[in-house]
This record gives sequence, structure tokens and C-alpha cells, in this order.
Amino acid sequence: MSVLSSPTAPVRWPTVLALYGLAIALGAGSAWLVVRSQLDRGGVSAGAWRTSTLAGSTHADLYTRAVVAVGALLALNREETVYYVATADSEGRPLRSRCRYRLSGPAPDARWWSVTAYAEDRFLFDAPGRRYSVNGRNAPMDAQGRFSFETGPTPPQEGEALASSSPAGPTPWLPTPGDRGLSFTLRLYNPAPELVANPASLAAPRIERLGACE
Amino acid sequence: MSVMRLLTRRRPWYVRIEVLAVVALLTHLLVVWAIPYAIMAALSRAAPAEGRGPGVAYFPPMTDHTQRRVVMPSPDLLYATCSFDVRQQALRIQADPKLPGYWSIALYGANSDNFFVLNDRKAAGVPVDLVLIGPDTPEPTAVPAGARMVRAPGGRGLLLMRVLVGDYAAEHEAVEAARRTLRCTPLG
Repeated sequence: MSVLSSPTAPVRWPTVLALYGLAIALGAGSAWLVVRSQLDRGGVSAGAWRTSTLAGSTHADLYTRAVVAVGALLALNREETVYYVATADSEGRPLRSRCRYRLSGPAPDARWWSVTAYAEDRFLFDAPGRRYSVNGRNAPMDAQGRFSFETGPTPPQEGEALASSSPAGPTPWLPTPGDRGLSFTLRLYNPAPELVANPASLAAPRIERLGACE
Repeated sequence: MSVMRLLTRRRPWYVRIEVLAVVALLTHLLVVWAIPYAIMAALSRAAPAEGRGPGVAYFPPMTDHTQRRVVMPSPDLLYATCSFDVRQQALRIQADPKLPGYWSIALYGANSDNFFVLNDRKAAGVPVDLVLIGPDTPEPTAVPAGARMVRAPGGRGLLLMRVLVGDYAAEHEAVEAARRTLRCTPLG
């Protein structure tokens, strides 16, 4: 206390340096923690999905720019592409790669779309057959223009696959091996102007957990 | 008065606490501001030797789970990159990817902002010919006929070309040829 309060005491350099070092460490550490804590948060939501309206934008604020750089580096601005991320299912339960999920919904109103599975480190799973995504080209659509596919560590059982098959064929499988954190990213390239103006208006795909997920 | 004397001058304890809090706050803001710059600089440095340096196009292999340079890579896109430094010298960007599907050329500042993007629809079949200049550099006297001038908000950054790929094995020849039309040429 004396070093902080006495006007005549000699400067105790080790204490002074330690205090300023602590302040700098506190500032740097809190910056990193705040940025990490904001990953996949903020922005607007549509069902289980969230998107940042400022990703890639030259109008992004200090924190948004840092969060995008850490979590979605080199994102395009939303006039070109809208990115939605889901880290929980439609019931709000955190996604896990060991669980089985069915993703379904109307084809998004965009020129091209895809759903990609990422592990908690935000990189692709080592998926069998290099099946990393389901997209507008390979997703089977029913007569109403709705897609449906399953994810999980193993392929759907034959009976389940037949039961959930669509007129376009059996439900495709997006592998999510192991027991890890999981997120899905829905990319809409050249989205409809209504979605650019109001990303929350997306008819969000449902993420339905199948089974108990032991 | 030197910075050291300013920092260590005798003051009441609560003033010292406030000074330390200001130092912590400024450090916090500085780190948040610097994160995108640091990540973009690290990305440029992480390119293999053959693709490193301003104006050198790099064509990474098709994205798969072994790609660990950029978070959340799209497995449906084939990429080409080219880092730029237009503080002293303009950069001519040319490409002519004759593909029926989506492709785009996006320009990012050193702070990771996407300040320009051109896609196949906007290009409308016309070959891409851009001249990229820095925020303070004068326009080059000899701009190639038909080239479009783009002014970058900062001197350095990265170009990222995306080519949509449905089935790489089947479309390999067409998409590889398309992305390899990218040229990044410093303008004298």
C-alpha cells in the first residue's frame, strides 16, 4: 500500500513493473476472452441459426471484425453470401458429433446453398468418403421443395434410411465422427434480396435430434 | 516529462488504480483492434514458398479435412489466393474463368474487411481486368484499355478467388483451368 499512497517513498520498480504488467495482461486476456465468447453469438437469429449482419462488411465495428477474423476469416459481405451458424438443435440442446440429427426445411432462397459440419475447432471432420457438406446440388428434394438429410457418427440404419427416404432417394448422410463439439454452417450464395435485407426472415431448417444420444 | 515519470509519479492510491485501469482498457482495445491484422498477416506468411509474396498467385489443393490454415473452409469451393501490397505499385488482376457455375473474386483489406467482390453474374461473361491501387497512390498513367480501377482502403491485403465445385473428380479439368486463369501482375 505504501508504494501507492506515500508521496515521498522511493519508487519500487519491481512492484511498479508488476502492476503495469498485470494491467497489460488483464487488458490482453480480457480482449481474447471477450472475442472468443462472442463466437457464434450476436447478430440475428432464425430458428436454431444465427448470422452476423456485419460479417465481412467494411462497416463492421471493432469487436465484430475481431470475432469474424477468429471465427470466420475471409467471410464475404452479406450481399454476396449470408452465413448462418447453428451450435444447438431446434430444442436448444448443444450439438454433439456423437448424436444423430435430421436437418430439414425448404430450400433456401438463394442461387446456391450448402450445409457443412464443423468440429469445435471450426475445421472439417475427417469424414469417410470426404462427405463434408450437403448442398443444393446433392440434397434430395421432395415434391414440396423441401430437403432432408441426417448427420451422425455412423450411417443411418437401413430401416431408418428407408423410413426417412424421400421421393428423390434415401436420405443422404453427413458424417460427424467421434464425440466432439459440432456446429453446422448454412451458406447462401447470392441470396434473395429479401434475405440480404432481413436475414432473420429465413425459413430456417429444423435441426431435430434423433434418439437419446447416449 | 518522460512516460516513465508520468507513470511513476507519486499520486494518491486511487489515482494509481485509475491509471492502471486505463492501461488495461487501452491494452484491451488495442488487442481487439490488432487481432484481424495479426491473423491476416499470419495467413499471408503461412502460404507455401511458391505462393508467398505480393502479386504471386497461389492455388491450394481442393479443400478437405487436412486444411488447417483458415477456419471454416468451404469443401464445395476451389480457391486461389494472391496477397497484394499496393502502397507503391498498382496491381493488375486478370481472370477469365469460363464456367457455367458460381465463381467470385473478393478483395480483403489487411484488417480482413471484404471491400470488393466480383462474381460471374456481375462479370457477365467479360474477362476480369482490374487495376488495384492504394488509398493514396496516384492512378497509373498507363492503365490497360478496358481495365476497371479499384481503390483499396489500405495498402495491403489478400485476393481470394472462389470457384464452385460439385464433384471435383468429374469437374477437375474445367475448374482447375478456370482458377488458373488468375493473374496478379504488378504494374510498373
